[in-house]
Amino acid sequence: MTWIDFPFYSSITGFLWVLGLIFLVVSYKKQTLIKIAHLLFLLGWAMLITFVVKLWIELDRPPMRTLGETRLWYATFLPLIGFITYIRWKYKWFLAYSILMAAMFLAINYLNPETYSKTLMPALQSPWFIPHVLVYLFSYAVLAASSIVAIKGWYDSYKGNFNIETLKLADNLVYIGFAFLTLGLLFGALWAKEAWGHYWTWDPKEVWAFLTWMGYLIYIHYRHFHNHKTKQALTILALAFVVLLVCWFGVNYLPVANTSVHTYTN
Amino acid sequence: MNLFDKNMSENTIKFQRKLWENPWGYAESFFIGFGLMLTGFFLEVFAGSEHIVTVSYPYNIFILFGYILVLFVLYKKFADKQLIRWLTKVPASISSIVLITILVMFMGIIPQVPSTNNLINNLGLNRITTNWAFLLILFQFLTCLGLISIKRILQFKWSNFGFILNHVGLFLALTAGMLGTGDLQRLSINLYEEKPSWIATDAQNNQLELPFAFYLKDFVIEEYAPKLALIDNSTGSISQNKGNNLYLVEKDETYFFNNFEVTVEDYLPNAIRFGMRYEPVNEIGAPPAAFISVKNIENDSIQKGWISSGSFRYSYESLKINDAYSMVMTIPEAKKFSSDIDILTKEGERISTVLEVNKPFKFRGYKIYQLSYDDKMGKWSNLSVLELVKDPWLPLIYLGIFMMIAGAIYMFWMGNKITKNE
Repeated sequence: MTWIDFPFYSSITGFLWVLGLIFLVVSYKKQTLIKIAHLLFLLGWAMLITFVVKLWIELDRPPMRTLGETRLWYATFLPLIGFITYIRWKYKWFLAYSILMAAMFLAINYLNPETYSKTLMPALQSPWFIPHVLVYLFSYAVLAASSIVAIKGWYDSYKGNFNIETLKLADNLVYIGFAFLTLGLLFGALWAKEAWGHYWTWDPKEVWAFLTWMGYLIYIHYRHFHNHKTKQALTILALAFVVLLVCWFGVNYLPVANTSVHTYTN
Repeated sequence: MNLFDKNMSENTIKFQRKLWENPWGYAESFFIGFGLMLTGFFLEVFAGSEHIVTVSYPYNIFILFGYILVLFVLYKKFADKQLIRWLTKVPASISSIVLITILVMFMGIIPQVPSTNNLINNLGLNRITTNWAFLLILFQFLTCLGLISIKRILQFKWSNFGFILNHVGLFLALTAGMLGTGDLQRLSINLYEEKPSWIATDAQNNQLELPFAFYLKDFVIEEYAPKLALIDNSTGSISQNKGNNLYLVEKDETYFFNNFEVTVEDYLPNAIRFGMRYEPVNEIGAPPAAFISVKNIENDSIQKGWISSGSFRYSYESLKINDAYSMVMTIPEAKKFSSDIDILTKEGERISTVLEVNKPFKFRGYKIYQLSYDDKMGKWSNLSVLELVKDPWLPLIYLGIFMMIAGAIYMFWMGNKITKNE
């Protein structure tokens, strides 16, 4: 039971991260402080990794059998993707977002100790589980951000001071988000082949994931060739996000839900 | 969306253009697309989907190479023709993507099972994947994709690298996936402990003799501990935490349910009742049981008693704690199940392996999966169901998938810089 040590490690990690986030926010005013923020994030991360390694050694198996354990992995890998994205694209808010999400997963585990032992069905016990969920988590976050940018675009053009740079930012976010969306879809396919024998079965969640993918595909193609039709582009982006929301939350309420392997209610 | 919209060049001045005037734009594209869709639905109503035959080896190979060859010739020799020009332009791609999205959206809303609604049945909206309308639009989509891929490969530039990975990857994965269904074989086979089996069943319930036999030495299920739940006596449903996050039963642990403090005083993984109490036994069908004490925090009254989740052989037992509530124990969930098998070939070989969910075994072109077991019997099941999958097109599909993964990474790294610089 090394989960007993979890409150100790996670609170140190959480403390370092929150401190790092404060430095990150202040660094918008004072550039040099970003280094301190990075250092704090990395220290917190090292603490968390120490815990994961210890847990793995004590359990003598990869900790991937319970809900609490999968949350631990999300918290471990979110900062990594956040840092890679930050190094490449320099979006500070994105780094902050990934750290915040990771901290949230730690907090959920901290507050719900019973999930340490919440069971995971055999089909979910796969090395694909974590990457599949993680890249989706990221993709949705980035695409949601692109929608926020789109709303700003609508507002600006309503006010009559629309700037094309706004749409270019949305474009870039869609590209990044779409890349992750593609990875999530394909990782899911590869996993399904290992677990259920076939890579694509038109499961309702798959159908809506595919539709989301198609929605952003339309946006990308439209934007690539109609650089100046901003209103139409913003409309497509809004519609694509609606489809994404249906895929994320709505599928369980559709008449097709009871045939899905992605619904886990008892 | 402005349908009467010119194609590529946005910077040119707007001019009025008649329908079907060169070059075709969105109006013509959607016109053609809807035409294909209507033709498809017409075919559904009057011909039905039953006539669709899946092609198998070697004809699907011929079709694949024939199709690519035709696309190549079309691009090389007929690129100046209106139709081919249109197919390699964005309006044709976007219209086909939009129409596929609409058709798949039907699939996302209407359950894909036989329906009582005549309109759904006749139009085939409950069998979209084999619907003529879907197949025709998909064919147009693939033709666009194929022609564009050929175009970019022939005009290769390094800046097109990501483009080619994404487009060729998708083309390969889709065409190989569709043409491969004719050769895809999915069989299931029931194995009983200490008996050889070689008769498998396919999706149409035909019996098939395998060229090798399975011998199930042992089928093992590891289970999680059962969970404790507080249920409402009048409805019989779980009434704490909305049914989420139940507690696993563990000896000497104390849990809180609404106003009750529940302590597990004793826990026996396999036990049956002898008179007043449960005793541990080593017997088939002996369910888990626990002795719990429940303290009502409001009035400090304490109740003690045995509860058991029951099994196919013994009935369950709950503890009624007051008029409104009882404590029960859920049936344990499987943590892991595996089959220890030998594969016996006609040549007299004997290959031993252990199958587990998420850990299939490759043998002579088949992938062998642990599928299920007799869930009524739970961990005492001596039946193990395996699935055998033969998918000779998989390498080609995976090639497509991995090209797309590489394309996605490229896309993440490059962002939309390419458009920016233009």
